Amino acid sequence: MRRLSKLAPLLAAAMVLAACGSDDDGGGTSEGGGGASAGEPQAGGEMTVLEDTAFTGSWPAGLDPATNTTGGANLPMMQSIYGGLFLLRSDDDGSNAAVEGNQAESGELSEDGTVFTVKLREGIEFSDGTPMDAEAVKLNWERALASPCTCKPTWPLAPDGIAVVDPTTLTLTFTQPYAAVSASFPTSNVNWIASPTALEKQGPDDFKINPVGAGPFKVVSNQLSSELVLEKNETYFEEGQPYLDKLTFQSIGGDQAAYQALQAGQAQAYEGLNTTPLLEQAQDNDQLQVSIQAATSPYVIQLNTKTGPFTDPKAREAIYAATDFEAINEGIFGGRYEVSQGFTAPGGLFYEQEVDGYPEFDPDHAKELVDELGGLTVKLGTISNYVATQINTALQTQWEEAGIDVEIEDYQLSTLIQQFTGGQWQAMLQTAGAWDPASGVGVGFRFGSRSPFSGVSDPELDQLLADAASSIDEDERGDLYQQAAELIASKFYAPFGLAFAPANISVKGVHGPGLTTVIPAALVNSQVIWDEVWMEQ
Amino acid sequence: MTAATLPRVPGNRDPRVSRGRRVAGSPALRLIVKRVLMAIPIIIGVTILASWVLSLIPGNAAQQLLGPQATPEDIALLEEQLGLNESGVSRYLDWLGGAVTGDLGQSVVSGQEVSDLLAERLPVSGELVGLAFVVSLLVALPVALFAAHRPNGVFDRISMVISTVGLSVANYVLALILVLIFAVQLGWLPAIGYTPLSEGLWANLEGMILPSAAIGIPLFCFYTRFLRGDLVDQMQQEEYVTTARAKGVGSWQVLLRHAFRNSSFGLITVVGLNLGALIGGTVIVESIFALPGIGQMLLQAINTRDFIVVQAVVVVFAVVAVVANLIVDLLYVLLDPRIRYGSR
Repeated sequence: MRRLSKLAPLLAAAMVLAACGSDDDGGGTSEGGGGASAGEPQAGGEMTVLEDTAFTGSWPAGLDPATNTTGGANLPMMQSIYGGLFLLRSDDDGSNAAVEGNQAESGELSEDGTVFTVKLREGIEFSDGTPMDAEAVKLNWERALASPCTCKPTWPLAPDGIAVVDPTTLTLTFTQPYAAVSASFPTSNVNWIASPTALEKQGPDDFKINPVGAGPFKVVSNQLSSELVLEKNETYFEEGQPYLDKLTFQSIGGDQAAYQALQAGQAQAYEGLNTTPLLEQAQDNDQLQVSIQAATSPYVIQLNTKTGPFTDPKAREAIYAATDFEAINEGIFGGRYEVSQGFTAPGGLFYEQEVDGYPEFDPDHAKELVDELGGLTVKLGTISNYVATQINTALQTQWEEAGIDVEIEDYQLSTLIQQFTGGQWQAMLQTAGAWDPASGVGVGFRFGSRSPFSGVSDPELDQLLADAASSIDEDERGDLYQQAAELIASKFYAPFGLAFAPANISVKGVHGPGLTTVIPAALVNSQVIWDEVWMEQ
Repeated sequence: MTAATLPRVPGNRDPRVSRGRRVAGSPALRLIVKRVLMAIPIIIGVTILASWVLSLIPGNAAQQLLGPQATPEDIALLEEQLGLNESGVSRYLDWLGGAVTGDLGQSVVSGQEVSDLLAERLPVSGELVGLAFVVSLLVALPVALFAAHRPNGVFDRISMVISTVGLSVANYVLALILVLIFAVQLGWLPAIGYTPLSEGLWANLEGMILPSAAIGIPLFCFYTRFLRGDLVDQMQQEEYVTTARAKGVGSWQVLLRHAFRNSSFGLITVVGLNLGALIGGTVIVESIFALPGIGQMLLQAINTRDFIVVQAVVVVFAVVAVVANLIVDLLYVLLDPRIRYGSR
């Protein structure tokens, strides 16, 4: 598979017949599908959606929210089966994104930021006919929080902090103010509520294969990491939805195979296209529509300030001066994405493209610094995927022009983790941030002193990030994040780069939020709202 | 004259030997028993090797499942939940203890019974490999015979070019090219998916043609080149061919009745050795064509370090290889009565 994943992009590139430029910006673009302009939704139809085996299309531990350890990647399946208490919605172009109640009617944070009250909609039932009430939600939250999945929220929850107020109301009590609580729902396992009755009846082992939720679709069959067949849930709380009668998620081995299957009419959509030549080809294809999602996590070159050459600020400054992400964006990605100077991106909250005091690209200055250092040798790593390895190759060229000796390496996931936990790594190309920088693993994951995946140990930065996560004043949060970005730049901790986001492609005649319109990625990928997806009949 | 001194009549069975003893003494049966007994340490050895190789790959199931953002605490919690705290040797011995009693265990990651998973996925891969194997062989035989009939003739040269191209292209590249031509451009065949046989023969075959072609075409090319080369050698160098020709036997008859029979030994050996690699080829092809087979399952199991599932698939592969080689040996016995295995 490793061999395949390395060669597939080359093959894809070779098969591109014509490439076209694009004026898309990093805020996400949608071509051809449309939302409001597409007309009235039509009910009916069956749809097959392809998901890459390497990410979304892999659900080896099943689809129980509490035991699915890849839940963060399996958003399409989880949303289809469970719906979600809250969803991230936006205008068709990805702007004005906000977390809105779905199965929850509302979620309100107290003025001091320590109590979050969730009000459920009245009368929602699971597809097995049992009520989705506050007790069911409490049980699910307790199971979800006990999960080892990185898709569980990082709430500062007080002991016994989950309380049922009445059959449709619950509260979460925190030990400290936590402003990112509502933003933490859309991509975490607490958002997906499973039927306690079905869970007890089937037992956890069977339930993960045949899960029961209150979402828009019911499970017909589930072959793990291979094929999930769903049918319309006739008792779904939104009247008239879902529009589709049947929805099938099919796992497939990579962008090229998925693209050809779409062309052949074997499927109607593919989520998460990364390969740039195929993206350009899809944009030229009259039968397909492309929706580049709004990026929220820019690439960052993490520098390990704890050991090796980057303990010296001059070496870090040399990397900043030698790095030109604008050129990489233009040269490799046709200027398709925004280049960010901080950990925010166009699709996310608190986005500021520029950061005061951010060191400019200055190759002459980089050479001077390298000379002063008596030379600089760097090992630059990244995860093994198309975009990241392309960027690393370009960075190697740029840095070598500044006199830096560079060895690049791309790692499979497990080796990458070992590199970080071993602590001897020097530079790593990763992504940082989220729609709300405090939600999920957040920006602290890459820059917090206690994170094993951070190359920085700076109490001042820790405090800024903690204050930003706890403040309930949005303006203040924005200011604090900007200060954090300025601190990162002033200490030369990590140059930021282009804000990449994958694209969704679908055949003409398909419409739906997040599929043919833009929704910001709450973490890695954006969440298509499958109940509202429809096909022209 | 007592029975003990009765003369043996060539070609007739010794009336003093019971049917049971005759069967027990048959070379074929002795071969089967011997190979089955040999298969036991082979299969155990293969599973030990697989277990060791898997332990060399960085990361365990917990790390793989939780991804790069997992904290050490999350990983430790999942390791405990999945029972990964035991040593590799201990887990292997537990698995082996169950396997010898027919219990292949449960997937570490999903908790599903591995025997259920195999029952679900083996038919898909079996059909894929079976189709690829049978069709490639059936097409390779006449092509090789025609090519060998007139070496360096037009047909031989064309078949050589096709075979060389087919052998040069990796099966995953071939798979994408086949989809591009027959599914995307011509729209004749589906690009992905599997339809069970229970939903119709054509519906089933339709989905298997391109995947089996992706595996079978390189195989066909290899068989063709191999058999053609051997046939030409036989026809040009062997004295029995010269003798047959001197007797006025026609060239096709020499080719089919004499040279082909001798060449078939080599082909059978190659086919037997090929079967193991053939199953290996399903790993990538099933992934490209979204076929829910054993190859796809193996790939996922390796990616998630699902030790139990990997072991089960390795056992299947080993059994197929052992059985294939046994069949090859039995065919030797069938084709050449001079061969007497274990008779000394």
